[in-house]
Amino acid sequence: MQTDEGYPDALPRGYHLHWYLLERVLGQGGFGITYLARDTNLDQRVAIKEYLPIDVATRRNDATVRARTEAHDERYHWGLERFIREARTLARFDHPNIVRVLSVFEFNNTAYMVMRFEEGSNLATVLEQRGTLPEGELLRILLPILDGLELVHNAGFIHRDIKPDNIHVRADGSPVLLDFGSARQPVAHSPSMTILVAPGYAPFEQYYSSGESQGPWSDIYGLGATCYRAICGAPPMDAIARSKGVLGSARDVLAPATAVGAGRYSPRLLKAIDHALEFAERDRPQSIAEWRRELLGEGQQAVPAPVAPPAAAARGEPPPPPASGGGWPVFRTVLAAAVALVVVAVLLRFYPLSGGGSGPPAETAPDPAAQLKERLAKLEQQLAEERQRQAEALAQQQAEERQRALEAEAARKREAEQKKLAEERQRKLAQQAEAERKRQAEQKKLAEERQRKLAQKAEAERKRQAEQNKLAEERQRKLAQQAEAERKRAEQQARQQAVLSAKPATAPPSSAELLVKVDRDYTAGNYAEALAALKPLAERGNADAQLRLGKSYAEGHGVVHDDARAAIWYRKAALQGNAEAQLRLGELYASGHGVPHNDFEAYVWFSAAVRGGNAAAKAQQGRVAKSLQPVEVEQAGKLVVNLPLPGTAR
Amino acid sequence: MSKSFVAYRCAQLCALILLALTSGCVSEQQKISATRDVNAVFRVEYERVLAEDGTHTYEVPRDEAFQALRVALSGLGMRLADQSPDLGFLSVYAPAPDPLTRDEWLRAAQADLPKFRGILEQHLGLAAWFVSFEPQGLDVVINATTIQVRGGTAVSLTMRMREVAPPKSGYPRREYAPPTAVRMGLRKIWGALERELPPASGRRS
Repeated sequence: MQTDEGYPDALPRGYHLHWYLLERVLGQGGFGITYLARDTNLDQRVAIKEYLPIDVATRRNDATVRARTEAHDERYHWGLERFIREARTLARFDHPNIVRVLSVFEFNNTAYMVMRFEEGSNLATVLEQRGTLPEGELLRILLPILDGLELVHNAGFIHRDIKPDNIHVRADGSPVLLDFGSARQPVAHSPSMTILVAPGYAPFEQYYSSGESQGPWSDIYGLGATCYRAICGAPPMDAIARSKGVLGSARDVLAPATAVGAGRYSPRLLKAIDHALEFAERDRPQSIAEWRRELLGEGQQAVPAPVAPPAAAARGEPPPPPASGGGWPVFRTVLAAAVALVVVAVLLRFYPLSGGGSGPPAETAPDPAAQLKERLAKLEQQLAEERQRQAEALAQQQAEERQRALEAEAARKREAEQKKLAEERQRKLAQQAEAERKRQAEQKKLAEERQRKLAQKAEAERKRQAEQNKLAEERQRKLAQQAEAERKRAEQQARQQAVLSAKPATAPPSSAELLVKVDRDYTAGNYAEALAALKPLAERGNADAQLRLGKSYAEGHGVVHDDARAAIWYRKAALQGNAEAQLRLGELYASGHGVPHNDFEAYVWFSAAVRGGNAAAKAQQGRVAKSLQPVEVEQAGKLVVNLPLPGTAR
Repeated sequence: MSKSFVAYRCAQLCALILLALTSGCVSEQQKISATRDVNAVFRVEYERVLAEDGTHTYEVPRDEAFQALRVALSGLGMRLADQSPDLGFLSVYAPAPDPLTRDEWLRAAQADLPKFRGILEQHLGLAAWFVSFEPQGLDVVINATTIQVRGGTAVSLTMRMREVAPPKSGYPRREYAPPTAVRMGLRKIWGALERELPPASGRRS
């Protein structure tokens, strides 16, 4: 059985996992390998994910998976248990936009999660082919994904690996979210876990082992980054690079979506993307529902207008004082009554009411003067009490007035302070607006600079393409000449044969003829016919056919675009000394498409291409050399010397 | 006022001055210049170590040497990043201090720290004595090649530090590992490789 090239730890093709027959590897991540398999019971294709955390486990010759050392054993089994438990949980989600988990089982000392295999195109491939997406199409993909993801979040899970590669677009245009392999990573609490993140799509908090700061906002960052990629043609810069900007050792040069997408997308969408891409997790939308409201602009609850305080209270004025002298009329009335009583008493003393003369009063009659004195004494007492009450009332009133005056002073001071604070705030806002204006101007400048560089790059690419086209035409012309010569030779041989045996002879087409036919079919767009001729030729070891087949995979002509397969065929041709294949393989290593990013290996293949006479590889070789140590350059040079030159394959 | 009290006060004052010198007076430019100088010195040492012990030749076919090298590196905790058996190229990585143990890393740090701080001191002054080698946030990346030579296979190794998380110290990262750590790491890898090779496959150089 054959192992997929590029996946040395994978199970071989044709391997039986119960009634599932493995067909090929779909991909490998830090926590496992995903295979395309056939369910031989139901006769349908499925995707199977195998738990194989490369940090702690390795594959044995008998196909079982074991912890690397005894020290890793506990972590491995703990992660395995989590993998199974999470597969069972995910199996509960029956949502059209989340990949359906069909089964989970243990085998080979590890576990396998069986999922529905989704046909269609990968969003990453779509974006690579089209560059950007219009707003309507982007929302048609994004909004159903939000619905599915909300379901996952509500169940207490986070996906943790949202990127265009993990979003599949079915033939009917509906999206589906794949690969929950990183959801709540099985060894997330391990102190020495490897942090596996997709640069550009992972928020800063995912670069650290602690899961405490991760939540729905981490997935929202991934979605925001995916949208950013879809509107500007490139993913946002890596969170580590952004962190340097935040820490102050470099500038945070992430151009906001509102700048790069202005005029092409609605301001609401661009603002929502920028909000999702906020560096600090607390500054991002905290839930899918919140972000959806921002995207759609619905449910924006009007903030209730604050209830205005009464005008006087608002100004801090004290309430109007009561009319002055409120207690005085009573006092004056009582005083007047007392004076009147004294006058009456004096009159009665000198003009008594009984006896009509000036003689002494009758013995039985009470003494009026004594009565008057008594009454006067009472009145004086009442008067004194009244005075006392009035004095107290006056003192209380004065105290209240003093209190009001103090409150009014305090209110005045408060008002002055508030005014000062408002002015200060106004000043700071103006400063912030100025800083923001400068920042935006700088970002605009940076965006223009990037645009300019992209244009230069596109121009360089166009020139390279033109040069390659010219070379291809030249090669095609030579091949045609060779084919023509061969045809003539064959005709001559046939004629000779006919003469000798009097029978018509038909020679099988040569490789060169087949390649000419292949090129003709490609030019005419007959990819199926071209591939039918090309594949056997490539498998027989023809380097030119291998290069063409690699290009078919890289460009998606007649086959699904697949850089990993392109790399496999380029490598076969490169090892035979084909300079163009060496250049293209070097480009894949330099960009990390289809193979792991590796500047060393890129340099090796660029150097081999230069050695084989490919002038276009020279600049690439110089560029990659800058990132290598001098001893690495020397080391690579030794490898290149051992590679065959064109036409001298081993 | 007793003499011991005066001495205590003087010690406190000195500590405050030291703190001020070490915390507030180092600019970003100074840090960058210091790191650049350390890198330059470590690079020279690194290239010297590799010239002495970076390549071994064994009397075995190339494929056999390649497989043995892969197993040996895996046994030291290194993870496979990329491999090309046809080409004879293998790239592995692991979080520092792998392939050294923590104790070995500390021993290497003890050996190289005086020189390291000596270089830093020219830029940072007293603050240099508060800087140490940090393995956190760094991966060790090893590129290995196996090349068929007359009568055997030449195995070559190179080693570099790769940043995977921003430094907490605020100092820029070094690309080159401390020379003693490189020397110890190479010795360990050669030992592991020779244990994986057949006993008769003598080393020629």
